[in-house]
Amino acid sequence: MSSEAELTDFLTLEEIDRDGALLEGIADVYGSSRADFLRGAAFASTAVLLGLGRPAVASASPKQDVGILQFDLVFEYLQSTFYLQAVRDRTVAGMKPEKQRWAHVLGAHELAHVAILRDVLGPKARKKPFFNFHGVTESESAFTRTAVAMEDLTVALLGGQAPHFSNPALTSAVFSLLTTEARHAAWARRLSGARPVAGAFDEPKTLNQVGRVVRSTRFIAARPRTGRRGNPNYTG
Amino acid sequence: MFLGRTLVAGGAFALGGLGFAAASERGAAAAPSPEQDVRILNFLLRLEYAQQALYQEAVATDALRGELHEFAEVCGDQDAEHVDALRALVGDDAQAKPTFDFGDAVRSRGRFTAAALTLEETASAAYIGQAANLTKDRLPDVARIVAVEARHAAWIRAIAGRNPAPHAADPAKTVQQVMKTLARTGFVERG
Repeated sequence: MSSEAELTDFLTLEEIDRDGALLEGIADVYGSSRADFLRGAAFASTAVLLGLGRPAVASASPKQDVGILQFDLVFEYLQSTFYLQAVRDRTVAGMKPEKQRWAHVLGAHELAHVAILRDVLGPKARKKPFFNFHGVTESESAFTRTAVAMEDLTVALLGGQAPHFSNPALTSAVFSLLTTEARHAAWARRLSGARPVAGAFDEPKTLNQVGRVVRSTRFIAARPRTGRRGNPNYTG
Repeated sequence: MFLGRTLVAGGAFALGGLGFAAASERGAAAAPSPEQDVRILNFLLRLEYAQQALYQEAVATDALRGELHEFAEVCGDQDAEHVDALRALVGDDAQAKPTFDFGDAVRSRGRFTAAALTLEETASAAYIGQAANLTKDRLPDVARIVAVEARHAAWIRAIAGRNPAPHAADPAKTVQQVMKTLARTGFVERG
């Protein structure tokens, strides 16, 4: 399991994405040249978090920690697929430059979050579900509106869960993801003409509350079939 | 290897006037305790005081216009609420508000933007750096605040024409790093 890469401050997405599942998705959307670029792109700050991952924290953590991380992982799958789908639908290409940059940066960050959580969870990591965005990623206004709601919801999710890890290193790592999601939310709100910050405190939501919202979107179409990769009939 | 990277750099060091047993970037120097909470919350309080004072004074000098003015007004009010919340958590041991001298940062739009960006980024990283050191009793309160600090940081970066979210996972800063940054600004006169 041990390799030099674990000890460097700069892990590339390729090093994070050990089974290649993420990069497959990127090449699909961006074409292979962009995928090559991303493959080599250093995720410097994520490397700090990835130090947590080996051996997978999941094998040494209480059930509750693993449960929270699995839930967060599904959420990050949802977000990363959402942004990639908007790129694939050419919705992002039709937006003004700053907004394009926003969508690309967020998509890349959410992919990195997927990679981090998969790495932390190890073999226990949930597989990616099938998503269906019901056309939301095809219109700029619906895409933007949904992105704002989703980013604010992620802040509420991570803010609610970060304090509950029994492993303090996980709390710390999830704080780093929480603030990143808060930046995404602020950026999304500003681009949509809303004030980047609503109140002085970001109120948390429970897993149940977040689960209810996610179910109401019907974005998660089905659980993944196990034991199979390749090109199943799903979005992203 | 387990947690190695994050914890090996630990080790307490005393920090000048704060008498602060500080933690490594992502590891606890000492196990969380109510006493350590007080020291950490006072440290974070200091950063909130600085931000709130910068915004309040900049709004008062009437140097800001447009979105920058809105930013200072909104964030000034919110950071004032953070000050109140942290003071309430610490109780009688809450540190008093230091005296600040922001110089041109409250008169020039460019300097104000740079100062706000530094303080917001520093605060966000400071909260992250202390996440592992707080007791479970205090974490929920701090989590409600840190996300707002990150929103402030993203907002001022956007106004400045910078990428609002430059990292896939935001970096943490140690107490020592934070205090060094704060000292370098020269904003804290006394306290």
